[in-house]
Amino acid sequence: MSNTVRVQPDLKFVQELQQVGGESLKKCYQCATCSVVCPLSPPDGPYPRKEMVWAQWGLKDRLVNDIDIWLCHNCGTCSDLCPRGAKPGDLLSALRNMAYRNLAKPSIIGKWMSSAAGFPLLMLIPAVIYGLIWSIMAGKLGTAFPLFVTDGHGLKVAAEGAIIYGGLFPGDYTIDPIFGAVFVFMALAFAGGIANMLKGFETLPKTYIVGRGKEPSFLSCLIDTLKVEVAQHSRFQNCGKEEKDVQRFTGHLFVFYAFIALMVVTSVVAVGHWFGAFFLQHILGLEGGLAGLIAWAGHTPMPLWSPVKLLANAGAVALVYGLMKLTSRRTALDSAKSTSNWYDWYLLTVIWGIALTGIGSEIFRLIGQKMLAYPTYYLHLIFVFMMLAYLPWSKLGHVVYRTVALAYARKIGRLPMGEI
Amino acid sequence: MSNNSILVVGGGFAGITAALEAAEVGHEVYIVETNPYLGGRVAQLNQYFPKLCPPSCGLEIQFQRIKNNPKVKFFTMSEVVSVTGGPGAFDVKIKERPRFVNANCTMCGECEKAATTTVKSEFEFGLAERKVAYSTHLFAFPQRYVVDAAACAPGELDKIKDACPYNAIETADAEKTFDLSVGSIVWATGWKPYDMAKLDNLGGGKLANVVSNMQFERLAAPNGPTNGKIERPSDGKAPKRIAFVQCAGSRDENHLNYCSYICCMASLKHVTYIREKLPEAQVVVYYIDLRTPGRYDNFMQKVAADDKLTLVKGKVAKIVECECKSPILTVEDAVTGIKGEERFDMVVLATGMQPSCAGSKLPVELPVDDDGFIIGGAEKGVFAAGCAKLPLDVMKTAQTGTGAALKAIQNVVGR
Repeated sequence: MSNTVRVQPDLKFVQELQQVGGESLKKCYQCATCSVVCPLSPPDGPYPRKEMVWAQWGLKDRLVNDIDIWLCHNCGTCSDLCPRGAKPGDLLSALRNMAYRNLAKPSIIGKWMSSAAGFPLLMLIPAVIYGLIWSIMAGKLGTAFPLFVTDGHGLKVAAEGAIIYGGLFPGDYTIDPIFGAVFVFMALAFAGGIANMLKGFETLPKTYIVGRGKEPSFLSCLIDTLKVEVAQHSRFQNCGKEEKDVQRFTGHLFVFYAFIALMVVTSVVAVGHWFGAFFLQHILGLEGGLAGLIAWAGHTPMPLWSPVKLLANAGAVALVYGLMKLTSRRTALDSAKSTSNWYDWYLLTVIWGIALTGIGSEIFRLIGQKMLAYPTYYLHLIFVFMMLAYLPWSKLGHVVYRTVALAYARKIGRLPMGEI
Repeated sequence: MSNNSILVVGGGFAGITAALEAAEVGHEVYIVETNPYLGGRVAQLNQYFPKLCPPSCGLEIQFQRIKNNPKVKFFTMSEVVSVTGGPGAFDVKIKERPRFVNANCTMCGECEKAATTTVKSEFEFGLAERKVAYSTHLFAFPQRYVVDAAACAPGELDKIKDACPYNAIETADAEKTFDLSVGSIVWATGWKPYDMAKLDNLGGGKLANVVSNMQFERLAAPNGPTNGKIERPSDGKAPKRIAFVQCAGSRDENHLNYCSYICCMASLKHVTYIREKLPEAQVVVYYIDLRTPGRYDNFMQKVAADDKLTLVKGKVAKIVECECKSPILTVEDAVTGIKGEERFDMVVLATGMQPSCAGSKLPVELPVDDDGFIIGGAEKGVFAAGCAKLPLDVMKTAQTGTGAALKAIQNVVGR
């Protein structure tokens, strides 16, 4: 034969895959049930059958550059109907986990994120940072659990005062600079990760649609992806109508919009403080009017009737509701069909941590329990740090990677059979 | 004094073979069969391997041997209720359901004409109706009608009796139980087609023109509901494009977690039926692996030379139907890696064999595997044969029947 392909199996890679969640992949006998029943699989080279055979053969190059792992939304239909219990759905999530681990630099974080063993270390980093701030401030203020009253533009410790987190962890020179740096670090890591991912996609055909005419621009594809797949969760909706599918769709939608709400709240606080209070009032010396309103909207702690606070509380409730749906679905999974891995549990743990400590901080502050309030807020900072700083290496990295991959898939016409 | 006689449970190919082998060396043999006829699943086929004979061919000879051998006694419409005792001295309780027809019957068919109520025919796998007075098929053995009194309308049984010119209808017939004393038992209860209603994604039992491989045998059989014309159940039209779905519920841990050995060959055999009856029809066989054990590979090579037959590696995992009731299959060709939809006029699901007794409690405790196949029992003087033991073709079934007969004889001789 003239076009003989010499297979170069990477056996170590197969073992790695089996460790990160693809342990059943050797059971596959290539019947192609999976790629037929998948509601999101494209007609040309559908997944996940081909990934199963690549994984069995150890064809690492093809798997790490595979765009299809991002098209998969892990509904589990393939694994449910798999006649061999080979769990193709688990293989694709294992491949995504490998992408989280390897796409972004420094890869040491990916290594720590890949198993529960790294969890204490990852938690220790923010715990030490915020622990230092706490102890320095405690020394400065004379107590580790201070109550404050306002004193002009600042705060002072007073026995009859209120719990103000910004007093113990001052935003201006502890919280904001650290999170600012974390954000820049995360964004740079993602930039490198995206570049790596897109480089892998270069081997894909330029288009999957014959006679398509002019190819849409990446930007217009990205906008469409954000409008349709992201904002409406359209692919999730196509995953199926079974109880567990609906549970996942609703759960994910709630968690997603809860984060959007909380992001808006954080932005209002940041803009109110840095633009309103700092720039407009302090630097330009403007008083009252619009500048006052902007500064007021971002001033914490907020009164409970503030629209921003209402949005924050609504977001918190939506977050818990969504998390309950997602967690109950995951705990009810039939382990013979689909298993949850460390990446799944890490993300759920961190988001639950954020939600519970966030709500706890607010409640303990309102009922004036300083001994509970400050430790809870400290934990809240740790969880938020863990989510943001390690985002590119965690399962939450799909927010960026999947969005980019889906936009790229739109550009080259790699669409589900029903959408072409 | 140990008992020399042998009980054979099941009057299909394995049971008949075992019974005749034992009887022809001098043992008294009883066959207990739940159907009103002997011959089992083979009787329902159009042709069977290895030589593609019609079933009447092989079975007719066996029935002659039974008729001519006073050592063989058989009970149809009968089941084993309980087994007590042990090897060499079993006491077996048999329940015989009423047939309402005695030995005077000449198969004249007057009772059938007189009957008005109809029910779905079990023998035709629901493809046709039968009267409450019926004969399952032309060469049914024993040649005697059955009256399904429980399904009769009020007064219908009397009308049927009055129509019989030979006084063969026994309206007072009732369920009987009796005991048999035997020294060995051969367990040859055979198989049932896997219930295709469980194949949700393939539309089994729901889509009009999706039939099982056993239903297809009936459609092709000259004594079947269409007199051997292959036609769509929905409108009676001859199909121009037919697809076969291999491993429909087989080799699948959600259904039958094993290979039924003969379904690939059965589908290839069905292709020969189609070629004979519908020379222009296009056929596609979708498979995971085409399994052609031993010499069957020659047969596959011969059939595969058909230029209107396409063999596609890829399991069909989704079937819906269009408004015209034509099934639409979704399948990935695993060689080209292209997934697509294909419309056919008719689809045959190659469903597997499930042991008849799967899921029910056996009247005698025998070791069975997870799927219900009998995997032992020899130490208890019970010997499994045929498809009660594992999925087989007719030829191998006969061999296991002979083997079981030998063991059953060894068990009673010299005690």
